[in-house]
Amino acid sequence: MRMFRIAGQGIQALGTNRTRTFFMMAGTIVGIAALTVIMALGKGTEKQVMKRVEGFGPRSLMLIAGGGKDLPPPDFSVTTLTLADADAVHSQIQNIEATSPVAFKRMPIKAGTAQTQATVFAVEPGWFAAWDWFVTDGDPIEAEDVATLARVCVIGQTLSHDLFGNASPVGETIQIQNVRFRIKGVLERRGTSPIGTDFDNRALIPLTTGMRRLFNQEHITYIRIKVKDLDHVESVKQQVRQLMHERHHITPPQEDDFRIVSAKAVGDLARGTSGTLSAILIALAGLSLVVGGVVLMNILLISVGERQKEIGLRRAVGATRRDILFQFLTESLTVTLSGMVIGSGLGVVITLTLQQATKVPVVLSWEPFALSLTFALLVGTFFGVQPARKAASLKPVEALT
Amino acid sequence: MIEVEELEKTYSAGSVATPVLKGLSFRINKGEYVAIMGASGTGKSTLMNILGCLDKPTGGSYRLDGSDVGSLDDDALSRLRNAKIGFVFQQFHLLERATAMSNVTLPLIYADEYPEDAEKMAEQALAAVGLTERRQYRPNELSGGQQQRVAIARALITDPEIILADEPTGALDRESGLEVMVIFKQLNRQGHTIILVTHDRAVAEHAQRIIVLEDGKIAEDGVVEKQRDPVLELDTIGTGEDEK
Repeated sequence: MRMFRIAGQGIQALGTNRTRTFFMMAGTIVGIAALTVIMALGKGTEKQVMKRVEGFGPRSLMLIAGGGKDLPPPDFSVTTLTLADADAVHSQIQNIEATSPVAFKRMPIKAGTAQTQATVFAVEPGWFAAWDWFVTDGDPIEAEDVATLARVCVIGQTLSHDLFGNASPVGETIQIQNVRFRIKGVLERRGTSPIGTDFDNRALIPLTTGMRRLFNQEHITYIRIKVKDLDHVESVKQQVRQLMHERHHITPPQEDDFRIVSAKAVGDLARGTSGTLSAILIALAGLSLVVGGVVLMNILLISVGERQKEIGLRRAVGATRRDILFQFLTESLTVTLSGMVIGSGLGVVITLTLQQATKVPVVLSWEPFALSLTFALLVGTFFGVQPARKAASLKPVEALT
Repeated sequence: MIEVEELEKTYSAGSVATPVLKGLSFRINKGEYVAIMGASGTGKSTLMNILGCLDKPTGGSYRLDGSDVGSLDDDALSRLRNAKIGFVFQQFHLLERATAMSNVTLPLIYADEYPEDAEKMAEQALAAVGLTERRQYRPNELSGGQQQRVAIARALITDPEIILADEPTGALDRESGLEVMVIFKQLNRQGHTIILVTHDRAVAEHAQRIIVLEDGKIAEDGVVEKQRDPVLELDTIGTGEDEK
């Protein structure tokens, strides 16, 4: 194909003048590498955010004792959140799938000679559905357990392992602060939270048992609310706030004695300023591509001047204007596309090195490559056209003299 | 093969029109060896550009192998140059960073079909100018005369109707110049039509016929009585008889 032969001439011209080619490429390489790294970092952060949102439960709200705007842990000194509040939320607000009032404390736990500390959650049977967290072995806390203030518990896998090793703990007895509890079941493994809390180091007991026999308190720590679908999360949140204002006789600007945390708030907090930062960095990478494009254009323009005789000769031996245009466009596109390949490779290397060295979350995906390819084509065409047209418009007679 | 009738070329810059060629008529037949001569400013470069299809006349007609060059568009002219004309320039105009082989095959890049045996053709063309050994040399590794011979091989590769040489010896010493003229003579003997553009009568006398331009018109068009023989002259240099 004639076109391929002419493209080959362009590529050869780049190959024979490597220094010039390198300088034409430099901007693209830097820009694309930066873009790749920034996008990998951005995606890594976003993945972590999503993991936290998933962990929290996208359809969930937490009504927590104590004011302020922070996420858990709750304010244990606030005693105004009660079971009656939980009942009111459950019965008066629409679109709620499950509510689960919880009181919890960190306590010493013993089994025989083995001893440890774990978080003890006093819960109702709705807890399992509200957290999508079920038993793998034995039975969950049931309504009857709550009604009879039964001294039974369900334990997490870390606790189980710490006290009983690899043996099944179901049917065994443990002592939580000197009160004996029979183990009914074992929870699924959940792992650790992003801030390092071990979710599996816990014991669940019936809410009533916890409040009357263990904690000796009338208030609860938080109410987990699971909304029926995502669209209703915000409206349920507003309604809960309003209901709580009424029930606790709070009129803004009076300060709330509770707070409501949504998955969105968890995500926003985890995301922090990283979104804005990566937007700025992407803009900078884009800028470097544009600067690289301008440099490319200038070098090409100079090169058209220097290669005037070459262009004239090519015209004399039969190149049409379009052939010359095509050759120079091939040159600029080859530069940006090779720059893209090198830049992407460099970006991946930097990303992986960064991950190794600093443990920051990164995600490599196809998007930066697609974006880089688009950029490379755009920059190569946009900044290549003018020099190419200049070259093509040279008259052979004038170019040769 | 070349039919030029009342050929005119006028350059106009704004309202000022400068006539350079003022009505030329001549024919050049296949196989002729013609020199176009004239001092600078007589329009010989302009005429060469038109004959080489690098430029178009503003009046009269130029027919090359029956096609009216004046009526062709830019692309058609490119194709015509590629197929029918081989250029040899005073300054060689080789691609600096390409080997002799690559330089010679350059016109084939722009042909409609790239011949399968392009390499062999290039080798033959280089052999015809006596540079078989230097195929892989780059211009900066070659002498001026060798560079000009590469340029001639490049002109030959498409087996053109006309070889158009513009002061081909202008940048060469006497011996290299004569070597180049030997090649032209051989090519002419093999049937190539050669048009030599020069200001130098001594160079022009290598041709069979001389067209002399003066002030944009033909002042003289005649057969060379005593055609110079470059082979003989080279021998003379070799034996030192010519040195003064």
